[in-house]
Amino acid sequence: MSDTDFLLDSRGDAQDLGAWVIGAVFGRDGGCAFALGDGTVRLADGWRPVTAHDGACLSIAADVKDGVITGGDDGRVMRIAPDGTATELAKYGSKWVDHVAAHDSGLRAATVGKAVHILDGKGTALKSLAHPTTVTGIAFDTKGKRIAASHYNGASLWFVAAKESSPRVLEWKGSHTGVVISPDASHVVTTMQENTLHGWRLADGQHMRMAGYPSKTKSVAFTAKGRWLATAGADCVVLWPFFGGGPMGKAPTELAGGDGVLCTTVACHPTQDVVAAGFDDGLVLIAEIGSGRVVPVAAPRGTAVSALAWNGVGSHLAFGTEGGFAGLIDLSKK
Amino acid sequence: MSDTTARDPVPVTVLTGYLGAGKTTLLNRILTENHGKKFAVVINEFGELGVDNDLVVDADEEVFEMNNGCICCTVRGDLIRILGGLMKRRDRFDGIILETTGLADPAPVAQTFFVDEDVKRATRLDAIVTVVDAKHLVARLADTKEAQEQIAFADIIVLNKMDLVTGAEADEVERRIRGINPYAEIRRATKSDVPIDSVIGRDAFNLERILEREPEFLSGDDHHEHDSEVNSVSFEVDKPIDAERFNAWITQVLASKGQDLLRTKGILYYADDSRRFAFQAVHMIADGDFIGEVKDGDPKKSKIVFIGRDLNRPWLRRGFEACQAGEDESKIQAEIARWTPPPA
Repeated sequence: MSDTDFLLDSRGDAQDLGAWVIGAVFGRDGGCAFALGDGTVRLADGWRPVTAHDGACLSIAADVKDGVITGGDDGRVMRIAPDGTATELAKYGSKWVDHVAAHDSGLRAATVGKAVHILDGKGTALKSLAHPTTVTGIAFDTKGKRIAASHYNGASLWFVAAKESSPRVLEWKGSHTGVVISPDASHVVTTMQENTLHGWRLADGQHMRMAGYPSKTKSVAFTAKGRWLATAGADCVVLWPFFGGGPMGKAPTELAGGDGVLCTTVACHPTQDVVAAGFDDGLVLIAEIGSGRVVPVAAPRGTAVSALAWNGVGSHLAFGTEGGFAGLIDLSKK
Repeated sequence: MSDTTARDPVPVTVLTGYLGAGKTTLLNRILTENHGKKFAVVINEFGELGVDNDLVVDADEEVFEMNNGCICCTVRGDLIRILGGLMKRRDRFDGIILETTGLADPAPVAQTFFVDEDVKRATRLDAIVTVVDAKHLVARLADTKEAQEQIAFADIIVLNKMDLVTGAEADEVERRIRGINPYAEIRRATKSDVPIDSVIGRDAFNLERILEREPEFLSGDDHHEHDSEVNSVSFEVDKPIDAERFNAWITQVLASKGQDLLRTKGILYYADDSRRFAFQAVHMIADGDFIGEVKDGDPKKSKIVFIGRDLNRPWLRRGFEACQAGEDESKIQAEIARWTPPPA
């Protein structure tokens, strides 16, 4: 084992899961779960496999109170409780459930084609939000009042509780492939097919274009207080400043670059200005934004990092790769 | 602990054809025949008949424009998403078959394989297979632009319903097909009964394979017909090609005429290079690669084929000829200047 694996060896628990890791999340109870391309969910506590979907898991999110929810290409939304019990929350025929999300206020959301279905904590369907084209990503705002959905030619921002449902449409020509909302709900940012990001300042509708990527950005995340937007898609972690008038007219900060390997996944620490990043060769590292200091977490193992998540207090980091290698590292002070 | 290493790209067969031509019959033959292979099937939601297969995905045929300054560059957004999803369960199938609706323009499908980096990395376009109805093709060619495009894009054409036509009628239909697309393989069939290995796993989109299988691609007659709106022209030159001149010229031709050029394919022998260069484009989107050393005794003739509408044969011929090394520099400059790109 190389020195790069020091943290994984000394403070980690690693496992070869044998299938593409499509996502890793920590439930609000603190438990860690990995969703896989073979349709199973693995709970890191003992690495128990739980059959979730007949096909592949396509998305995973922390559920309302505890456990996780997943969407699959069998058209189902599943809940996996912390004890591993799997329950079907919804079924949408043969359509894929591409994305799921949940908020601790008691809401769940699932995308199926052009629709975003909103469910309550019991799994009862509340409403279905229609879009002009297939929904490619969803995000709740911090308070759970609004949900953003990305699609062709822009994103739609909905008030979840509104009786009359009509979205605020954020328009920008082209194919938008994912969406995030800043922690203070002041900005919406999408990833695009053309190796760029697009953003809207909600107060005045100001457009923001963040370009210059050599490949598609598939992972973006705001830092805890929303000062930075960390992004994958370049051979380093690209951070756009969302303060002092930025990101318009500001150059992004670059971290952990230099070896020419694409960053594929980013995850921001829940309280500190620290970002975890995964790369195309499987390398996982943590970088401190202020100092630029980089600490390796796991050595390259050949396939791209496809999942990365911090727990709620920021003491543990989980990662997974396309090749099925997964790890959970305890970074708390000892 | 080691990670699974990256795998070979998954072959994708695109099945096109007009409504009622026998596309779904062919698809079901491929799926039910005992070949030991498993396929993921992507069908459009308005499919004609049921498809019996373990892994069937409904597609919406969402055609998206790319913001890359190229006005005819469209891709299938749903396909990018679906192929990405299928890659996560890569071990469950050996290949992917993609059926398109009868009215679909094949260009966005083909361009998706050129333009999207993830699709390019994970998959390989094996062939565009077009099923046509021998009895009704001539009428379809007269009244729809899609029927012509589906033939223009085909690598393999299944000339179906042979039981409904006479030998002379079949020959006439083949002549019409050749007028649009002279290098596609034509397979005659009744009830889509072609050998499966003649349409699947052919690597027919790959120009190197075309050369191995059909040396006449380089030496065949240049069909010159005008009974369809879409037709083809091809040219051959003896002297090696000057790479810089060719790039400058073809870039200008595609920028200016790309909307009307459905497919462009070329095999080029560059001056000072011992390898052959394969060039291909769908509308304005071009791609090219060296495809191995020239063998002893190979005729070192470069050839280019344009399939499209309203092709200016003399301009294209003179331009390609001016790309030859040793030709006067002023000649190629004049040929490039002819093709004024539309204002951006």
